[in-house]
Amino acid sequence: MSFTHKIDEWMKEAEARPESAVMIVKLVAKRLRELTERNEELLTENIALQNGTRVEEYQKRIAHLEYQLDLLKRRFSADESLLAELPTTSLETSTLSLLIYNTYGKIFRIEINSDLQALGRIVDETLQNSEQPRLLAIPSNEEILLLFTSGRVSTCAVSNISTVEIGNDWTWDKAAIPDEPRAGEFLACVMPISRLPLSEFFLQVSRRGCVKKTMTSMAQSVLGNHYLGKGALQKSDQPFDVILCQKKDLFGFVTLEGKLLGLDVNELSYSAEDRIKLTASDYVIASLVPQADESMLFVTQTGKVIHREQASLDLSKSPLAKGQTLIPPTRLEQGVRFVGAASVRDEDRIVILDSKGNLRVHSAGSITGVGSIEAEGLILSIGVIQAEAWKDSNL
Amino acid sequence: MSVKVGIDFGTSNSGVAVYDGQRVQLLPVDPKNVLPEVIKTVLYITKDYRASIGQEAVENYYRDNVNRQRRYVKQWAGEIDVRGADMFYVRDIYVYVDELKPGRLLQYLKTALRKDGYAGTQIFERYYTVGDLAKTYLSLLKQRAEDVLGESIKAVTLGRPVKFSESPEQDHKAQEILRQAASEAGFKEVDFELEPVAAALDYEQSITKPQNVVIFDFGGGTLDIAVMRLGDPRTRQVYASGGVDIAGSDFDRAIIEKRMLSHFGLGRVKHQPEIIDMIHAIPDWMALPELGTPINKNILDKAIHAGTSPIQMKALQGLIYNDLAFTFYNRVEAGKIALSNESATIISLEDKDIALWELYTRHQLETDIQHYLIDVEKVLLDTIAKSGLDVIEIDAVVKTGGSSNIPLFTEMLVSIFGKEKVKQSSSFTSVVAGLAIKSQADKLI
Repeated sequence: MSFTHKIDEWMKEAEARPESAVMIVKLVAKRLRELTERNEELLTENIALQNGTRVEEYQKRIAHLEYQLDLLKRRFSADESLLAELPTTSLETSTLSLLIYNTYGKIFRIEINSDLQALGRIVDETLQNSEQPRLLAIPSNEEILLLFTSGRVSTCAVSNISTVEIGNDWTWDKAAIPDEPRAGEFLACVMPISRLPLSEFFLQVSRRGCVKKTMTSMAQSVLGNHYLGKGALQKSDQPFDVILCQKKDLFGFVTLEGKLLGLDVNELSYSAEDRIKLTASDYVIASLVPQADESMLFVTQTGKVIHREQASLDLSKSPLAKGQTLIPPTRLEQGVRFVGAASVRDEDRIVILDSKGNLRVHSAGSITGVGSIEAEGLILSIGVIQAEAWKDSNL
Repeated sequence: MSVKVGIDFGTSNSGVAVYDGQRVQLLPVDPKNVLPEVIKTVLYITKDYRASIGQEAVENYYRDNVNRQRRYVKQWAGEIDVRGADMFYVRDIYVYVDELKPGRLLQYLKTALRKDGYAGTQIFERYYTVGDLAKTYLSLLKQRAEDVLGESIKAVTLGRPVKFSESPEQDHKAQEILRQAASEAGFKEVDFELEPVAAALDYEQSITKPQNVVIFDFGGGTLDIAVMRLGDPRTRQVYASGGVDIAGSDFDRAIIEKRMLSHFGLGRVKHQPEIIDMIHAIPDWMALPELGTPINKNILDKAIHAGTSPIQMKALQGLIYNDLAFTFYNRVEAGKIALSNESATIISLEDKDIALWELYTRHQLETDIQHYLIDVEKVLLDTIAKSGLDVIEIDAVVKTGGSSNIPLFTEMLVSIFGKEKVKQSSSFTSVVAGLAIKSQADKLI
């Protein structure tokens, strides 16, 4: 049926019932508006195709995908031919490494290849530059990204960091320095980057609670230029942590004086923004991206453990929120402070570094059950060994 | 304690009601529906043979099927003997089966009861007879009604059209299949009442003096007419009844045939009989889901690649392979219903690969179904003649059923009987209300 014939039929309707003419005109006008909008979209798309903008966009996307593929190849130490055979070849099993690093860029790597509870001891100064060492458990075949306080970044394969013997005493002069901090800068944090191709954003948090989101599609430029940025607004502020996350994730950070702030990653700005009002003596000591099946664990310097479900993380929309208070004011007056926090499952393990330099492994389930951690001295840092990584390392 | 209910097992919609001698209670058996007292006569059966009905069935179907993945596997279906002049051999027959198909949605169950030659259907590994389908639906409906009432239901008065079929044998067979299905669904006593008579019993509640009444029950599957004396149970009498297989589903089919097929390539595709066959199968709700074979997909892919009406072929592919048939039929039906109140409406379907938009006017609808008007008028006048009454002796004409709201038929009734005599009863609930009254009639008289 031709369109002219259809119009004739609409006219007949209008002749039979004149009041229907208004209705027909309204419906046709609505359709015309929809089609005009659609036409504009198509014209815009056509222009983008003709002037090459769309081509450039696709070229960028291809370049990004090629870079992600390259990262994956490096992660699996595979070449093209091996990748093609991936479904039929089993991946090389890796050992699990624990990195203990300080602000001077010194890193101890121990390969956890036994079920030992006591992993060893740092017999040197544990506090360097008034900062406690931080811990990161990571498979040995992965790569790490080092973020310095100047905003500089560099990458390094975990396997390239020399190991120290498990169960021994270590001194910092035996530690590896994969990338020595330059004049005036310190190592802010170390992050695994194997999940970079699967993540949408880098999320940075500064010591004073400034948060910045960067798309991972920029990763090639970030790593190529060795610069991610400080992610802080104030001159005196410094980057504290960087993590990889997805749009749908929730992000939280915890401060020394017991404030917890939750944020919806999707709603975060791409520019650095102060997100919390902190007292002069307070600063961020941990950040986390709790998943639905994980709970949050907060540890004080005396070994007291506070355990919260992921659902209890209140999301803040205000640009300068106060955060949830986890340490009551009376305890705060008594000097109780947080030293670490992490999102964990019951099967995970927690590594504790105390002020005597001892590194010990505990089960997350038992810690949350008892509500405290026993240590020889004050607790300085905590790290998480995920159950899957523990299993994969053939322990 | 157990009760007896009335069930209207309709072509498009069903309902359950109870009567306590004073008041009819329509049971809200489908809380998810806009009208909870009305439940769609649709049945969804999943791959693990879990069944659901009404709006729940529709939701399950949409959740599991629309834009889902398909994977065809070749399965042995049987063998055929091939005999020639001096040879004989046996040949294996294979069919392509979509092994990811999560379930099947079945509608127009009541039409299947009276469809000659339709004995049942294969649902995954099991064969369901027409009776099995009706039993499955009725048992779930019974369960819902029992949940609402909080007590068990032992007996039912089921509605039935005046004629399931023109053939008396087929008519009797359809009723017996329905009786057996109801028994197997758990009803210990099953009796029947003609649907227009049931609607008359409901109307009788509203009159104070005896009247000669024509019940014009025009639903989704059939038109049923009864000429009755109402107003006093002692003198209540059915003078005549009649019916014809014309109703809502026929009008939907007419709209699709006349207005929709051009969106899927009719008139544009000239020399590809396989594609033309596919287009002509669109109005057939039983045939359309069966078109989703890998061979047909290949044919459509080739046509798109060759530039043969690619937009229409993509739309046809989307309709078949994205499981949009049910949505499409619903949109057409909704357009038809809208024209009962409006003079123009839009029938549209926007999805992956489909951008269907049709401005449809009441004038167009009336043109498309005009030929049915003659048949309907003839059956009506024949039934009145059979009753021995003259048109002027009719005191009231009571319309019920969704299709009775179509202005073309209302105008016909008004032109025959006069405006003041044409009354509208509740389109979807008057039959079930009357069935509930009938179910208690033995006790009340």
